[in-house]
Amino acid sequence: MAKLTIDDLKKIKDRVEKEDQFRAGTKRIKLTVHMGTCGIASGAKEILDTFMGEVSENNVNDVLITTSGCIGICSREPLATIEEQGKEPIVYEYLNPNKARQIFKRHVMNGEVQMDFVMARGTEHDKKGVGK
Amino acid sequence: MKVFRAHILTCGGTGCNASGSEAVHRAVVQELITKNLTDEVSVVETGCNGFCAAGPIMVIYPEGTFYQYVKAEDVPEIIEEHIIKGRPVKRLMYKEPTSDQPIPHMLDIPFFGKQKLVALKNRGLIDAEKIDEYIAREGYMAAAKALTQMSQDEVIEEVKKSGLRGRGGGGFPTGMKWSFARKSAGDVKYILCNADEGDPGAFMDRSILEADPHAVLEGMIIGGYSIGANEGYIYCRAEYPLAIKRLNIAIEQAREYGLLGKNILGTDYSLDIHVYQGAGAFVCGEETALMNSIEGKRGMPRPRPPFPASKGLWQKPSVLNNVETYANISQIILNGGEWYASMGTERSKGTKVFALTGAVNNVGLVEVPMGTSIGDIIFDIGGGIRNGKQYKAAQLGGPSGGCIPAEALNTPTDYEEIIKLGAIMGSGGLIVMDEDTCMVDTAKFFMEFCQEESCGKCTPCREGTKRMLEILKRICHGEGRDGDIELLEDLAGIIKDSALCGLGQTAPNPVLSTIRYFRHEYEAHIYDKKCPAAVCSKLFKSPCQHACPIEMDIPAYIALIRANRLADAFKIMKKTNPFPGVCGRVCPQFCANKCRRGQLDEPMAIAWLKRYISDNAKRPKIDQAPVTRKEKVAVIGGGPAGLTAAQDLCMRGYKVTVFEELPYAGGMMRYAIPEYRMPRDIVEQEVSDIRALGVEIKTGTRIGKDISFDALRKDYDVIVIAVGAHKSWKLDIEGEDLAGVWGAVEFLREVNLGKKVNVGSKVAIVGGGNSAIDAARTAVRLGAKDVTILYRRERKDMPAWENEIQAAEHEGVKIEYLVAPTKLIGKNGKLVGVECQRMRLGEFDRSGRRKPVSIPGSEFTLAIDTIVPAISQNTDASFIPAGSDVTIDKWGGIKTTGKAKNKTTADNVFIAGDAASGPATVVEAIAMGHKTAADVDDFIRARNNEPAYRVPPEEEIEIPFEVDEEVIETPKGKMPELKKSERRITFKEVELGYSKKTAYKEACRCLRCDAEL
Repeated sequence: MAKLTIDDLKKIKDRVEKEDQFRAGTKRIKLTVHMGTCGIASGAKEILDTFMGEVSENNVNDVLITTSGCIGICSREPLATIEEQGKEPIVYEYLNPNKARQIFKRHVMNGEVQMDFVMARGTEHDKKGVGK
Repeated sequence: MKVFRAHILTCGGTGCNASGSEAVHRAVVQELITKNLTDEVSVVETGCNGFCAAGPIMVIYPEGTFYQYVKAEDVPEIIEEHIIKGRPVKRLMYKEPTSDQPIPHMLDIPFFGKQKLVALKNRGLIDAEKIDEYIAREGYMAAAKALTQMSQDEVIEEVKKSGLRGRGGGGFPTGMKWSFARKSAGDVKYILCNADEGDPGAFMDRSILEADPHAVLEGMIIGGYSIGANEGYIYCRAEYPLAIKRLNIAIEQAREYGLLGKNILGTDYSLDIHVYQGAGAFVCGEETALMNSIEGKRGMPRPRPPFPASKGLWQKPSVLNNVETYANISQIILNGGEWYASMGTERSKGTKVFALTGAVNNVGLVEVPMGTSIGDIIFDIGGGIRNGKQYKAAQLGGPSGGCIPAEALNTPTDYEEIIKLGAIMGSGGLIVMDEDTCMVDTAKFFMEFCQEESCGKCTPCREGTKRMLEILKRICHGEGRDGDIELLEDLAGIIKDSALCGLGQTAPNPVLSTIRYFRHEYEAHIYDKKCPAAVCSKLFKSPCQHACPIEMDIPAYIALIRANRLADAFKIMKKTNPFPGVCGRVCPQFCANKCRRGQLDEPMAIAWLKRYISDNAKRPKIDQAPVTRKEKVAVIGGGPAGLTAAQDLCMRGYKVTVFEELPYAGGMMRYAIPEYRMPRDIVEQEVSDIRALGVEIKTGTRIGKDISFDALRKDYDVIVIAVGAHKSWKLDIEGEDLAGVWGAVEFLREVNLGKKVNVGSKVAIVGGGNSAIDAARTAVRLGAKDVTILYRRERKDMPAWENEIQAAEHEGVKIEYLVAPTKLIGKNGKLVGVECQRMRLGEFDRSGRRKPVSIPGSEFTLAIDTIVPAISQNTDASFIPAGSDVTIDKWGGIKTTGKAKNKTTADNVFIAGDAASGPATVVEAIAMGHKTAADVDDFIRARNNEPAYRVPPEEEIEIPFEVDEEVIETPKGKMPELKKSERRITFKEVELGYSKKTAYKEACRCLRCDAEL
């Protein structure tokens, strides 16, 4: 691949924003499994597998499944964040495969937030001035 | 087609299958055959209906009843009850979740709301393995800015302006470090990243590398550019495989994009970065050892100077910074040094990442502005101490750092302020320790770590840490000697001054800091052979017995309950405790607090078992103790301390007389604890046992009135003062002389004397301890309609026992938190109201709790007839005449001397119980009574040049050892209670005592920590 210039950096930024299937609206839901060492040690891989399994089992094609690192509160792992177009993200805590299945069936597919497993809504990055 | 009257649907989905729905399905089929119902009821396996977490799920039609968590064992009950009798099984039915409760926003949760993200700005947001996601969050824009718009010196200037200091622990200004390397002559320079995170309990670097590796690379590109380095290394320990994997992916992707390699972003600047895997030696976190290790040599430090900025890796000018330092750089370049410097304190700028671990509710990674207090991090962000335990200390800086005790919780996170405490900021590992941590053991742990990790190059570190560890081990094993603490301090000083590198120079820090703040724990181990936290197991048989002030042999009497040998169990209790019936009801149970069963489910109900024995055992006959000595002892005060001392001295052959002012002996046990918690006959029975030994108890006799103190001293060889603390503290506000204002002790005493006390209909109690609760529940029983407790802190801070608080609430007592009285309002000399002020919790006080601060303008008035301040008590020392050689202290109490604080300023006058210690508990008073009796005896014998007392041989009681093969989680046995309707009107005992069956079951829960296997 060709070396990047500064303009390319900006182009990548725009492209990522445009191509982000969730932001671009081609995917209805973005599901992030938090997979730092802490998450993996508490079973995040199993959670990720469960979600992937549910996607293929139910022939769902409007859900984007992705991973990211630790969100900080390691004692409540495994954690996953579900973002739905036009709605505040929902963070689920202390997951296990059955909770993940239930969240997929009831929340992702039916839109019912599973109160018993919710930690919070929104993101900590909503804070004004983060990084600024 | 067959018509069924009912359909049973079992779930065959993946989730329910995983939790055992197949077995449920089989059980249903089997049960229908057994019950001959196959023609009436059909069984269908359905697909998933989405309630996987509550599985296995079962639905029964036609009703559509939804059952959750069904086990095969439940099936016969469901068929019998639901299908045959038509009664749904309620306990298995699905419960609607409470749907109305609002979901908190992430920022409403203090853990997130109080953080400020700079180094961690991308956490949880981006996929670390996709460079595009990093770029989309302004990634590499800072590098672009630095490389194209800024000179090398301008970059360094910006970093200097930010005030950023090395986040690896040293806190050296980053900009200055870079400028030194920039000025060093040489064509070849290196930019290095220290990711050799080795402190126990620290995981900041790992988490950053896993979540946002490009942020570190970008910081290194900017740093490399500023000093003129074309090659860089990240030294990361091999124990971080995920971090290394993600770093390598990130480097690969950056190279592909030309963000690493030749002519970055089309500029003249070139830099390549490699990951170097360290084998995990702690010393390789030291900069010169790290460089040796990269060079392929043994990871050992070399003397400085020369410093790495002039001669670093391969003797070339080098800059080494830590992961978190680099993660801050891109934000500083993008937003400017001034922006970064606007956060933090005078000398510590920006934010700091901490790895919060240990006995805290929220374990995790935390980034806060510098200057945030340690207490805020632990209690607001960390959510406080786990399991409601007390905070003891936090270790900051790992094995090179020190501990932060409760009295220093207000300390801001600031390099200099933390050094003043004897700790260091370190890389940010913050290990929280609760009351169950032994500080000597903690020091031993860190010393063991340093001794193992010492590279051996210099003698002070190699030999010194070994010797210090030997001493610490000895102390923990109960072989500590006088002078050990001083020897540790000496050795620590020498090692600090003479070790070659940071590892050795800082290795003694944990020892010095624990000695500084917890010297009493070292002394307890060395001189008393006690471990106050009940951790150092070489010092005791079982933690419960060790924690008991009178070391009752708890496992023994519990074992005897199991064997149904109550008479023997009673004898075991009486060996150390003259008041087992009382303690079985009101003991605060220091023992249960250390009970190992509590780590599994709940601690043993030790007091309730003690009560069970004392209520049900056959009592041995008590013979009078022969008087074998000529000396006579007078005890002033017939409470637990005085009576225990009298009993012990009587058994040692002395003629003892107890003088008690009130009509009955028992002190606070009789006159402060209400009858519904402590029936009178229990106290009377235990007092009469002491009388039966030969102790003379003269009630209704006040020293200082009926007999003068000086006259008493003429008649007796030794006096023991055990008058307790029976004078309530005043609130110290306007209006305390009004009618209707009662001290709690005086109020309870009047009631317990059987006098008629008119409390009116509205009563306020001030305070949060057990006597406040006692006063409140007593007022309820006297007919008050409205009883309110005013407490200035929060519920979790109340010293009263949780079950007492709950009982009061059940009886209708209201509790107002964060409120303090400011003025009592009277009319015609009678109390009619109290003005109060709302409080908020401010900084931490010395006890580690937040101090209540009044909110101006929040005053409000409560209409009341009676107010009872229950805030504390002190001793009435007015019986001691002026000019006596028994001196009064400046607070009006009796001055105590001696290590055990059980002597007065007069030779032959001793003191015990609350009068000596201030308000404490029955068991502590008993402990002091024992100690004082022994000291009185020693004093008399020494005066007569007699040999010391020898304890006569005791009756041997064989203790059975029987434990369950398998330990199954079981909560402690419930205490049966008096009906609520009866409670508000009578003083009958509320707790009814264990039945034989409950007591046996409870006794079986004991893990028998005393057993030697």
